[in-house]
Amino acid sequence: MATQTSQSIEQSQRPPWVAPLAVLIVAGAVLVGLLFAFHQVDAAVGLVQSLVIAIGEASPIIVPAAVAWAVPKHHGVRVRAVLAIFAGLAMLFLTQTLPGTIGADGQTHESGHLLSWLLGLPLAGAIGVLFLPRQAPRTVQLFTMLVMFASLGVALPLLGVHMGATYHFNQDVLWMPRFGIHYHVAIDGISLWLVMLTVFIVPIAAYVSFGSIKTRMKDWCFALLLLEGAMIGAFVALDLFVFYIFWELMLVPMYVMIGVWGGTDRIRSAIKFFLYTMTGSMLMLGAILYLAYTYAKASGGQLSFDYFDLQRLVLPQHVQTWLFAAFALSFLIKVPMWPLHTWLPDAHTEAPTGGSIILAAVMLKLGTYGYLRFCLGLFPEASAWAAAMLAGVAVLGGIIYGALCAWKQDDVKRLIAYSSVAHLGYVMLGIFACTQGSIEGAVLQMVNHGISTGALFLLFGVIYDRRHTRQQEEFGGLAKVMPVYAALFVIVTLASVGLPTTNGFIGEFMIITSTFASTKIGKFNGIDATGAAIGVILGAVYMLGVVQAMFFGPIKKKENEKLEDINSRELIAVAPLVIMIFVIGLFPNVFLTQIKDAAQRIDDDMTSHLEAHHAPDYYEGAIKLAPRSSLAPRALPSAPPPADARL
Amino acid sequence: MSSIFPAEDYSPIALILLLPLLGAFVNGIWGHRLGKPAVKLMALAAVGGSFLVCVATVVQLAFTGGEHEHHRLAWTAWEWMHTTGGLQRSSVPIDMRFSVDTLSGTMMLIVTGVGFLIHVYSTAYMAHDKSFARFFCYLNLFIFAMLVLILGDNLPVLFVGWEGVGLCSYLLIGFWYEHLPNAAAGKKAFIANRIGDFGLIVAMFLLVHYTGALDWVGMQSGAHSLMDTPADAFQIHIWPPGGGTYPDIAGLPLHVLNPAKPFTITAATAVGLMLLLGCTGKSAQIPLYVWLPDAMAGPTPVSALIHAATMVTAGVYLVCRMSFVFALSPFVMACIAVIGALTALLAASIALVQNDIKKILAYSTVSQLGFMFIGVGVGAFTAGFFHVITHAFFKACLFLCAGSVIHAMHARIHDGDAAQDIRNMGGLGKYMRITRWTFLVSTLAIIGCPGLSGFFSKDEILFRAYVNHPVNPFAQRLAAFHQDVWVWPTWLGPAIYFAGLIAAAMTAFYMVRCYILTFEGEFRGWTIGRPSMFKSNPDIDPHDPDAHHEDLKEPGRPPHESPHAMTYPLIILATFAAFAGLLNPAPLTKHLPIEHWLEPVFESTKDSIITRPDADHLTWSLALGGIAAFAIGTWLAYWMYMQSQGEPARRLAASQPALHRLLLDKWRVDELYDWAVISLVDALADTFAWFDEWVVDGLLAKVTSVVVAALGNILRVFQTGVVHGYAALMVVGMACLGWFFVAPHPATSMTESNGDYTLTAGPGIGYQYRWDADGNGTFDSDKFGDQTSVKLHLDAGASKTVQLEVKNAFGLTRSTKIVVKRPEPSASAQLVEVGQN
Repeated sequence: MATQTSQSIEQSQRPPWVAPLAVLIVAGAVLVGLLFAFHQVDAAVGLVQSLVIAIGEASPIIVPAAVAWAVPKHHGVRVRAVLAIFAGLAMLFLTQTLPGTIGADGQTHESGHLLSWLLGLPLAGAIGVLFLPRQAPRTVQLFTMLVMFASLGVALPLLGVHMGATYHFNQDVLWMPRFGIHYHVAIDGISLWLVMLTVFIVPIAAYVSFGSIKTRMKDWCFALLLLEGAMIGAFVALDLFVFYIFWELMLVPMYVMIGVWGGTDRIRSAIKFFLYTMTGSMLMLGAILYLAYTYAKASGGQLSFDYFDLQRLVLPQHVQTWLFAAFALSFLIKVPMWPLHTWLPDAHTEAPTGGSIILAAVMLKLGTYGYLRFCLGLFPEASAWAAAMLAGVAVLGGIIYGALCAWKQDDVKRLIAYSSVAHLGYVMLGIFACTQGSIEGAVLQMVNHGISTGALFLLFGVIYDRRHTRQQEEFGGLAKVMPVYAALFVIVTLASVGLPTTNGFIGEFMIITSTFASTKIGKFNGIDATGAAIGVILGAVYMLGVVQAMFFGPIKKKENEKLEDINSRELIAVAPLVIMIFVIGLFPNVFLTQIKDAAQRIDDDMTSHLEAHHAPDYYEGAIKLAPRSSLAPRALPSAPPPADARL
Repeated sequence: MSSIFPAEDYSPIALILLLPLLGAFVNGIWGHRLGKPAVKLMALAAVGGSFLVCVATVVQLAFTGGEHEHHRLAWTAWEWMHTTGGLQRSSVPIDMRFSVDTLSGTMMLIVTGVGFLIHVYSTAYMAHDKSFARFFCYLNLFIFAMLVLILGDNLPVLFVGWEGVGLCSYLLIGFWYEHLPNAAAGKKAFIANRIGDFGLIVAMFLLVHYTGALDWVGMQSGAHSLMDTPADAFQIHIWPPGGGTYPDIAGLPLHVLNPAKPFTITAATAVGLMLLLGCTGKSAQIPLYVWLPDAMAGPTPVSALIHAATMVTAGVYLVCRMSFVFALSPFVMACIAVIGALTALLAASIALVQNDIKKILAYSTVSQLGFMFIGVGVGAFTAGFFHVITHAFFKACLFLCAGSVIHAMHARIHDGDAAQDIRNMGGLGKYMRITRWTFLVSTLAIIGCPGLSGFFSKDEILFRAYVNHPVNPFAQRLAAFHQDVWVWPTWLGPAIYFAGLIAAAMTAFYMVRCYILTFEGEFRGWTIGRPSMFKSNPDIDPHDPDAHHEDLKEPGRPPHESPHAMTYPLIILATFAAFAGLLNPAPLTKHLPIEHWLEPVFESTKDSIITRPDADHLTWSLALGGIAAFAIGTWLAYWMYMQSQGEPARRLAASQPALHRLLLDKWRVDELYDWAVISLVDALADTFAWFDEWVVDGLLAKVTSVVVAALGNILRVFQTGVVHGYAALMVVGMACLGWFFVAPHPATSMTESNGDYTLTAGPGIGYQYRWDADGNGTFDSDKFGDQTSVKLHLDAGASKTVQLEVKNAFGLTRSTKIVVKRPEPSASAQLVEVGQN
């Protein structure tokens, strides 16, 4: 105690005017920038406008400097530099992508191979890892990080294109002519941010896991890269066969990650995870094959798995309902939605930190994304028919039930897992409501959940590495020994609770307000929106409960008295997530401008279908083909059906 | 000025907001390294600078625009987001936009002005705290959030501030988080506020749907849609939910739930009630007031700033700000006024018997907020808001005085609760003259001593409650939909007036009691001795809460007056508490500056608030009631505690022990909530957690696995491993296979093209065939031949029975009949190609 006091006295030896002086210097820098801006802008722009421009132009330099300075003092140059670079990148991202800065001419050259590079790099990297020596884990780690950063770099050009309502970076190659299977990848405003989320989160998860994973590093890196490639592939695939391959491919590494590096009960959880997901996948596979077969019958012999081809099928009610059910079940298990959610808490508790982050942040989004893309896209009438009921399930079973279950968990990772069920209830509600605003909100909320829940798992991993327990009552009073850690945890908690200016608020707000405007969930829009708003209260109840139990009050356990505060690796890993929490919370339009038109497209598609065929008995008759969507990428000249293909 | 800062791009607002944020940032990040003097400098400069810009802004505001015109100075920071809204379901932009009008201008002056004084006070009050920098970081952050709340130009931006102040309140209540009850009190405050925020979110989605906007101007111009839409969309069906009727499902007689007449409310009422829920959370009204008394766990300057002067008045501010919506629904207005009156009574009755000086002031705050609600509820928005202003001065002053007293008591009493107990004080007026006089002035102000600020603001509210009532401006429209129009009952105004009088009398009693017990009489805290009797122990920091407990019987120094940094703010606040009433001296003169200043803001509500025609004659008779309440309460307290030394009070408590206990236990409302609400949710959560583990997971995972395992067990019985058992089974299998090959199988397949059918027989070892292709019942030839297929033609709708007999190499024969039917042409048989490209 005495030494601490004397230290703090020594530390406060710096003259009191230093900080205000530094602030003045920064303000001076802004003023200089302002002067420059005055010379550049014409007279039409006002004083304030030029000030804003000056601040905007200087911010990629000022903000990193401030961040480097703001780092707690026991960290060295290494941490400061890295965090400053992160902050600089975030500011560059903001200033370059703020609405209005994207090139209005729109005539950017889009490479047809970019997406293949994007998903090919991690897959090739995974194979590359196999040829590295097992005895040199550092080399393997370095190689993995390099490949992941390369993917991140490859993904950056995606941001330079204004997505609008259509698909971009389209690549369509005939792969297996006999079965009409194409290698078809493309990206639109919806998959864009999910791909970005993947390439953003996976390196973070990898980096933080290198600190806690001690065994079988080579296998771990292999699994990570394979998983990254498969997830990106599933987000960009527009051929259902290719989608299915990637969908199944990502199951394998996650299964291995839980089963090999997990906790004490890992095998059971891994099997549960695998079986649940597999059940859905099998049904979906059957439905995909049926769709392709039906397409062949309707189109005169040519099989096709292409999304836009299959979208043309006009299916009668009884067929569509069953196909929808098969697809929906598969996706809803993945989301997961009540009552199919119980694999998630088990998988999360047993998975290692890195696995939990990827599972929560990206893999669950495959379920919501799949529902949005394939269920709404292929079976609009059936989706509308089920929407009112499923929205009720999302509100009651997801938002409210999930939150109350979360409140009652003693195991912190289980609690976060149940909070995922609640948060994804919002996402699904937004998708079911299917108005432009709610879909935008849902897509944004997918990204939000990825960032804040990923950060929660990451931060909990920090304390887990030190204490190797997940029980709330084992902690208490940690704010005193780990102040920086506590501050970060509280910030991320507030994002998860949905405090305004953090990302969670934007998604929830858009979903709730737009759900009320929805006409597609029957007369329950008001009740659903109100139920979702109740979730806002419950979120605070369980998250603040865990914060209080972990960080406040006196230190009860002797083991907690000497805990080391968050270290450089963990700080570097969590910093980008915390930055993004505020970037999305304050500047959501950066993201929404890209999503907006695609969400409008989905809304319009649904509306036009529903106007043509009224639910519930919308259509009974033969299967027929509608024209190809005008927004679909140009199709390959279809190969003539091979002579030996008989149906 | 206006050329540099046009009204639509008034950038000084950025400065007002950013200075406190900068202060919070610098103190939060570098506070530890800077040391206390720099932290102090930063925090004070931030809030002081902000205050100066506020003054400049209000001056500019006063000189822009014309008379009686509602004008604003606005600044758009950036485009924030958008959502779907409006009856046409279009995209509604929501910008980070801030604006100042006379209402928000006044409010921000109070927040930064009183805030600055409390910052100055805190520099001395918190001087010995280990987390000095963290404290000022939170305090500056609070000022920032409060300014966002006030200046936000639309509801979501206001909501940013609304939640932001809630967060700061949470952090500051739990400031000394090592003590678990403090953290729990913070959580309670946050969650109670969240319940209110739920109301605000619901109000927001209703508003954005009906009015198509969330900014003040847009909502005001679209507000009529809440009462008047082309169809009956403005009616919200409460029961049955969403409208329609319940059909019977699967024999369940759900139709009994269908009411004779659907229960609907107008969108205006729904929005009003939901906004009101939000306001009760933030402004600590029934039913959500329970968090505020617990919030006193925070440092005393925090109680003064957040839980008395500024944050808790945000609810009143919101009602004023959204007055154009509230005015559409007299029912909601009545709810506000009734809630206000009940809260004023309830909180005042609790305050009568409390002994903790901060608790008394906390309940007093709740009670005074009730008065403000009465004011805005009866449509006297100016009067309600004027009470916000005067209350900010005298309540801040009272809390800071209490802080000063506690500071003095801490010299020897280190237990937090004991140091705040007025039974341990008494006679402090002798030792702490400045504190005593400022406390007295503020007490006189709050209890409505004629001439001081509280008199003018409170009496205006009570007067308005008696003479005002709101009417529904859309009554005819509602009648067209056969809706009952709620009419303000004539007895309600006088009832609220008399309830207010009783609460005012109680206020006078408990405040005077608090003053007398604290400052008059003999000091009861510890024995005061001469300097020669002191045991000097310079090592012990008198303000260190961890220091040992002293024996209070030993003679010690007399309580000391606080340093200048604490007393100067007291003097300034007491001055304002005394004279702020002159801003709106309602019964004295018709020249009312505040009324005139705020008039444009409430212009739109004018038509829906009716004043009694004889109001002018009632002015002084109603004011006399207020003066009488003041006189009776004061005299009673003076007689009980000054003249009789508290004896009548003790006797009264002894004669009514149950009632006294109930009041001391705050009517046991917390226990009621625990019993009725919290345990209910808790039980529900427990049930869900159990259900999840045993039913959902049990059915899906455990039962499935049991079924699969059982099947496996059954099949395992056959895997005996006994080789001759397998051999016997194999022989049986071979025999079956052999029989299959020996028996002939007449199988056919059929292809069709435009009515030409081709039937082909399946091949087999040594198979020979004979056919009956014309369907006459006899085979076409008696002999078996090699003809494997026959052709026939059928017209639409016709059918034919074809026979086939097969003879195999063993000479065995077998025949089969095939019915060939050509269906009628129908739509389903045709595959339609539509415009394939």
